[in-house]
Amino acid sequence: MASNRASVSIAFRSISKHYGTFKALDRIELEIEAGEFLTLLGPSGSGKTTLLMLLAGFARPSSGVIEVAGSDITRMPPHRRDFGVVFQNYALFPHMSVTENVGYPLRMRRCPREEIDRRVADALELVQLGHLAERRIDQLSGGQRQRIALARAVVFSPRVLLMDEPLSALDKKLREQMQIEIRHLHERLGITTIYVTHDQREALTMSDRVAVIDGGRLIQLEEPASLYAHPATRFVADFIGESTLLPVARQAGRFAYGEQPVSIANPVPPGAGEHWLVVRPERLVLLDGAAPDGINRFTGTVEDVVFQGETLLARVRLATGDMLSLRRDTRREVMAGLPRTGEPISLGLAAEETVIVPERAP
Amino acid sequence: MTTRISLLAGIAAGAVLAGAGWSTAEAETTLTFTSFGGAYQKAQREAWLDPLEKELGVRILEDTLTGIAEVRAQVRSGAVNWDIVDLGLGDCSAGQAEGIFEPLDYQQIATQGIEKAAYDSHWIGVIYYSTVLGYSTERYKDKQPASWADFWDVESFPGARALRDYPIANLEIALMADGVPAGQVYEVLGTPEGEKRAFAKLDEIRDHIDVWWNSGAQSAQLLRDGEVDMSTIWNGRLDAIAEAGAPVAYTYNQGILALDCLAIPKGAPNRDLAQKVVARIVAPDLQANMPPLMNYGPTNAESFESGQITQEMRERSPSSPDNLKVQMISSAKFWEENRNRLQEAWDAWKTR
Amino acid sequence: MSATGIESLAARRAGRPDANAPELAADERRERLHLFGLSLPALLVIGIVAFLPTAWLFWLSFIDEGSFSLAHYERMVREASYLRIFWSTFEISAVVTVIAILLGYPLAYLLSQLSERAASLLLILVLVPFWTSLLVRTYAWLVLLQRRGVINDWLQGLGLVDAPLRLVHNYTGTLIGMTHIMLPFLILPTYAALRTIDRDYLKAAASLGASPLRAFWTVFFPLSLPGLMAGALLVFVLCLGFYVTPALLGGGRVLLVSMKIQQNAGMYFEWGAASAMGVILLVATLGIFWGLGRLVSLDRVMGER
Repeated sequence: MASNRASVSIAFRSISKHYGTFKALDRIELEIEAGEFLTLLGPSGSGKTTLLMLLAGFARPSSGVIEVAGSDITRMPPHRRDFGVVFQNYALFPHMSVTENVGYPLRMRRCPREEIDRRVADALELVQLGHLAERRIDQLSGGQRQRIALARAVVFSPRVLLMDEPLSALDKKLREQMQIEIRHLHERLGITTIYVTHDQREALTMSDRVAVIDGGRLIQLEEPASLYAHPATRFVADFIGESTLLPVARQAGRFAYGEQPVSIANPVPPGAGEHWLVVRPERLVLLDGAAPDGINRFTGTVEDVVFQGETLLARVRLATGDMLSLRRDTRREVMAGLPRTGEPISLGLAAEETVIVPERAP
Repeated sequence: MTTRISLLAGIAAGAVLAGAGWSTAEAETTLTFTSFGGAYQKAQREAWLDPLEKELGVRILEDTLTGIAEVRAQVRSGAVNWDIVDLGLGDCSAGQAEGIFEPLDYQQIATQGIEKAAYDSHWIGVIYYSTVLGYSTERYKDKQPASWADFWDVESFPGARALRDYPIANLEIALMADGVPAGQVYEVLGTPEGEKRAFAKLDEIRDHIDVWWNSGAQSAQLLRDGEVDMSTIWNGRLDAIAEAGAPVAYTYNQGILALDCLAIPKGAPNRDLAQKVVARIVAPDLQANMPPLMNYGPTNAESFESGQITQEMRERSPSSPDNLKVQMISSAKFWEENRNRLQEAWDAWKTR
Repeated sequence: MSATGIESLAARRAGRPDANAPELAADERRERLHLFGLSLPALLVIGIVAFLPTAWLFWLSFIDEGSFSLAHYERMVREASYLRIFWSTFEISAVVTVIAILLGYPLAYLLSQLSERAASLLLILVLVPFWTSLLVRTYAWLVLLQRRGVINDWLQGLGLVDAPLRLVHNYTGTLIGMTHIMLPFLILPTYAALRTIDRDYLKAAASLGASPLRAFWTVFFPLSLPGLMAGALLVFVLCLGFYVTPALLGGGRVLLVSMKIQQNAGMYFEWGAASAMGVILLVATLGIFWGLGRLVSLDRVMGER
């Protein structure tokens, strides 16, 4: 079962896909390293699933080249690509048992009977469902189906593993558990994996790198931490994590929020259109009295406070009329120090934490 | 079964009582004549009923039926609405045996000129039609088939053939083809050897029959479209397609005459008037009214002497004395007694 | 219920709030009964128009000359022709069903792969004959197939045959006519079933290494079997009772149960004999269903859907 095959790199070279005049994908350039876990992240209709379908071979690009391990596979039919695919609805064959489903790719490859038995057993063991081998698909729970689909997609040691929102049908707890399991599976098998999701938290949790896609274009490709810390555009800042966006304007070479100059320690990414100050609720600190140098200060009144378990969220109305959100943990001493609803509050954001993004990429 | 009948009888008795006042008032001035509808019943109205309404000063209502089952239901339930019914010969014979008809009043009915086989105590034949040998004049230009032996002669008369998928008429035809004289057909057919002989003769022609027809319209269509070159067919059906221009003709030689007959259902509300009307319909003058309207043969031979029937009609009529001579009349009695057995034998032979 | 009623009930229950279990269960039963009541008119109608006539038929088959008798059944055992008629009825029904599958399945498959729009257009072509009178279609075949019909005219005109082919008034003509009439009954349920098969199954099969042909046979075809079976059974059962087309195109050479029933009931008014044949046909059909049900468990084929 262990990856007995060198993992491969993948490259999209100027891939476009048009449906009539609609551009589902617009000149996508993307290179994925061998053994990498890469997530295609975007809202629905962004083109991320289309890109995955092109890679799997279920649809043809309008133009451009897809390379796997350096060779062009753009016109190769899907059944020769040797990619494991996990579908959103799992697509487990309802007329076959668990064993028959998982053995299917091996039968298609005309493996000998004993080898099929052995590899199916290994794959089921890998997803810890060996005891369900003879079950029918309709006797499985959602989470079990998910694992069987995964076992079927990896049992034949594919060159690449593709997953199309595989966890979206599961409840939150199971989803978080599966995220970790899939991540572990990837570590064990070392197989190049492309994962599609619209859930930014899932993307950040699982991936080596995240490719943010919107409107058929690749917006940003980054490791999770730096994607979170340094979004390239307003869209990415808004889509990834929680943030409040305040409009800033350039005045005499510096950015200012209203009349207040903004101190920043990070370069502003190149782009076009207006600029926005990205404020992450957990990066704000409470200030008493004057703000030290290098800290941007915001004052206002507490509008409301919502208790959410491990954290609470306070909404603050600034003097300018804009709203800011502040997230704190719920330890007793932290909560005691917080102003109550209706009281004035003063917040600070360190220059190192201050990020300004353009409306869109150049 | 008995429960059902007594229930129906109860309902019917109620209906009769309720309608008693009405029926006496109308008695003897109104009559209901029931036949098969269509062109046939229209001709009956024109040939017989219209003149009789004037002559007798009565009103004759009409209804239609499809066979004896409806007559049987009326008589058994006691709710009889019909005074005179027109039925096929087999039904008449069966109805007489079942006792669902009034006896006919042969004091009033003159049977002179009517064949003995064409009436009985409870029914009387009213028209003849004939099952004849019809053929394509295109296919048989020089020499035409003229007998059932010719029909069987596939060497001299090659061509596609059709017969009805039915034992009645076919067994008679087979025996005649085998040389049995028309007058002895039923005598022979009534014996086990005769039955065997008929089927043995049918065996000879079986492989040369392209179509076994099962409706009069079908036999006409087969000859008209040239689908077969020779077939048994009812003379009226063949007349119709010949008039429409199809190259077909037929011979009455060895034809098998069948009858439609009139009967009075037992308990008919106006049975006395009905006796009078039946007697008039079979009289030569009214019988002679039918051939100009439709080529059904009068059952009363004297109608051919009435002067109303032209020489041309006479030659074509299934029951003119000349044509009657060369044909045989289907025996209702024989078929009443043997039909079930021979139908089974026929099916067994057909499915063999 | 009045306020005092509630109070007295509450008083009675004071201290035992769980004592209302029987009432709650009764409510649930009543609710279920009400739901059943909704379908009662339909059940009555079905009982009257479907069940009663069948029961009547059954009863009639045991009546001869006004009293209870097995005569009608005895005759069927005694006369060899009945067995042959039943045999040829089941045989031709099976053959028509097989031909309808061979012709109809590929067509239903093609329809299921087209866009909804194109498929609806083509479906109309399937349905137009379906909406045309059975008699008209049957006579149309007669016109096409007979000795001097359109097809023989062409064949002879093109010099392909010397003498006209015998295409109708025989087994061949009956098969052609019956298959044509029955095809929509196969295509419609099959098409409906094929449409519901998720295309992701085929994508999954392809990604797992199945060529399009193998994906079809290992995944699509097994999943389409329930629909195909439904269509095939419909065709088979309809064929068993088919009268008009075999009567007109068979030329009297194809004798089926329906014709014998027509002969008994329509020509001789022997309802008992006709009913007995109807009962045997019904019983034989049910027997075949039972046998098929044992051979292929539809549940197993259906799986999750």
